[in-house]
Formats: sequence, C-alpha cells, structure tokens
Amino acid sequence: MDVEVNVGELVALLNQTLDYAYPSVTVVGELANLRVSKGKWLYFDLKDDTSSVKFFGTVYMLPGPLEDGMLLKVAATPRLHNLYGFSMNVQSIQPAGEGSIKKAAELLQAKLAAEGLFDEARKRALPYPPKRIGLITSSQSAAYADFIKILTARWGGVAVELINVQVQGEPAPRQITAAIEQFNALAEPPEVLVLIRGGGSAEDLAAFSTEQVTRAVAASRVPTLVAIGHEIDLSLAELAADQRASTPSNAAELLVPDRRHELRVLTDYRQQLGRLLQQTVSDGRQALTIAGERLHAAWQQLSADELQSLRLKRQLLSAYNPESALSRGYAIIRSEQQLHTRVAQLQAGQKVTINLQDGQADATIDQIRPKKVL
Amino acid sequence: MATKKTDYRTLSEELDGILSRLQSGELNIDEAMPAYERGMKLVKELEAYLKNAENRITELQATLQD
Repeated sequence: MDVEVNVGELVALLNQTLDYAYPSVTVVGELANLRVSKGKWLYFDLKDDTSSVKFFGTVYMLPGPLEDGMLLKVAATPRLHNLYGFSMNVQSIQPAGEGSIKKAAELLQAKLAAEGLFDEARKRALPYPPKRIGLITSSQSAAYADFIKILTARWGGVAVELINVQVQGEPAPRQITAAIEQFNALAEPPEVLVLIRGGGSAEDLAAFSTEQVTRAVAASRVPTLVAIGHEIDLSLAELAADQRASTPSNAAELLVPDRRHELRVLTDYRQQLGRLLQQTVSDGRQALTIAGERLHAAWQQLSADELQSLRLKRQLLSAYNPESALSRGYAIIRSEQQLHTRVAQLQAGQKVTINLQDGQADATIDQIRPKKVL
Repeated sequence: MATKKTDYRTLSEELDGILSRLQSGELNIDEAMPAYERGMKLVKELEAYLKNAENRITELQATLQD
C-alpha cells in the first residue's frame, strides 16, 4: 500500500507505530557522550561494538554521577522528534554489571562525602531501648523474619510499625524513600527508623546505594539504623545512617538490650540496694555511738565542774557558820532560847546560858555596863 | 504486676539515680529507708516488664503504591 503523507503526518504515524510496538524498552549498553544542558537536560548515547543510539532525558533521572564507559541499563520509549530526529526518551537509568555498579557507587560516594552527608559529626545517638520503631523492609524477606526474631528474643514492649517495600528492582528506591518520608511526616514519628535487607548481589543491593535513598536517610529527622546485606557489604545508605549494623540480626542486637542480661543486672541491683541500706543503718548506728560518747563526756565534764563549785560554796558557807566562831573564843549567850546580842536586852539577876565550843554553862548577870555612846 | 505506663528507660533511670544517691552516703536513715523501698519496687517492676512485655507489630499502609 503506497501512502502519501506530509512530513508532520509521517512523524505522527511513526510515533504511533513505535508507541504501539514498543511502549517501553530496556536497553543495556555502554555510556558515551554524556552531556548535561542548562543544568536540566540530559543527552547521552548507548553503544555496543556495532551500534550507537541517542538518548534524551532530565537530570532527575540520573541515579548519581556517571562516567562515559560505564555499562547502563536504561528504560526508555523510542520517539521521533519533529525537528531533531530519533532518540530514546529516558524513564529510568541504572548502572549494570558489577564493574559499573561499583564505579557508579564510588563516584556517588565521593560526591555525597564532599557534601558532608557521611560526616561523623552528623551522627545522632539512637534511643536505647526505643519504645517505637519504624521498620522499612520487605515483610516477605528473611531479613524481616531475622530482625523480628532477635528483637523478640531480646526485648519486649516495643511497638514496631512496618512499611512494606520492595528492596530491589526499579521501584525500590522510590518506595524506600517514600517510606522514610512517610514515617518522618507522622504527627508522632517513631523514635528510630530501621532500614534492613538481607544479602544479595551488588545489583540486588543497588537500591541502597542510590542517591535518592542515601539522601533520604541523611535527611531523616528520625534517627536511622541501616543494615544492608552481609558484614562485607557497605551501602551508601549505611554510611549516611546514624548507625550501621552488619546484618539485620545485628540491627536488632544494637537496638535493644538482652533481657537475660538485664535480669542479672537487676538481681545485682537488688543485692546492692540491701547492702546500701545496711550501710546507711550501720553508719547511723556508729554516729549514734559517737554522739552518746560525746554526751557522756560532756556530762562528766559538767558534773566535775559543778562538784568543784559546790565544794567552794560549802567552804564559803562553813566560814559563815556561827558555831565555827565559838572555836575562835567567841561565846553565844541565850536566855529561854532568845539570843542576846546587846547588854540592853539583859538585866541584873537574869539567868542566862553561855554556849562555848565544847558545851554550855549556866550563869547569872551581876551587873550591866553599857558602852558610853559619844 | 507491671504498672500501667511501663516505660523501662524512665524506671531504669530512676533506679540508677536512687542507687547513686544511696552510694554517695548523703542520705540519712529517714531518707534512705523510702529510697530503698522505692528502689526495690522499681527492681520488681522492671523484672516484671522483662518477663512479661511483648512486642507489638503493625503494618502501616504505604502512601506510595507502585
């Protein structure tokens, strides 16, 4: 069938055919002529030994910094532009093959490190033990099962909130990033975000070294703990996390104490409390004994002083005892129990009693001679 | 016999505080006795927590669906 069309119609017709035949194609090839225009538009070629095809997209599709020569896996739709000819419109770009994945990760790591995303100073301490954990992983994975098993064996009372995500494949970075943002956007976010995935090939783990996921981990307001793959695997998300664990099981071990250990500590505490109380009581008893001794000493001092003062007073008193005057040659004269101190109290012929130091004598007054008053 | 609001971290910190106050020797017997009783109560509650508390797992619906 011979069809006559104008140029615009030809472009439309070819695009329609391409759309129908190839809604999306994933092409693997070596990157060449990578170019960014106006900070937004992305141009590059994918080539192999025999062919080269032009690709067009935006910089937002870049998984990170890329270099010519890297092997890429690019999802794109074929399109004929009405002025610039044929190109593939990019939907997503991923490094392909161990070498390229490693190279891409190195380039991205250098770029993000230069921005300070992995700085030690940014690392925050995780709450220990946390009351609420936001868990991001695949609920079907061994990593999830291991994490929950170890967590449950070690500790209780933790609320685990899970967002189930794909941990590999093309949607993984978007889903993981969205889950991190979703937890952060909660009115009451969990105390810690845990991002885990079990072991796998470099390609399987690639999502956790993408710029998108690494930046989301670094930007999380909720502190993060990331464990990807085995001990030897180190993803960029782990570098950006507040804490890294070697495996999902290790993540559970780092998050919560072991209840058996805590129980032993509590038993020690119980004994320690008893000992400390006893110590306080015996300290108190000792203080009491010392106080008693001081009281006794003070009393003795006081009573000795008092005795001395009493002795002095007794001496003083005895000096004033009239009886003691008799021994010095004085006499006391009484009549009918009345004491006579003046001759005016006497009259001639009156009977009196004279008291001397060793006895009494009765006498009669013969004559009274008062002193002459001048 | 765990309390209604079992918060291990808070109770555990309170217990540490009581122990260090008792250790400092600054408490007299009037103060030490209630501190000891509170400490023993905390030990019991924490032990009960460790023996009885269970984890709760819920799944949040992801906002992003592919």
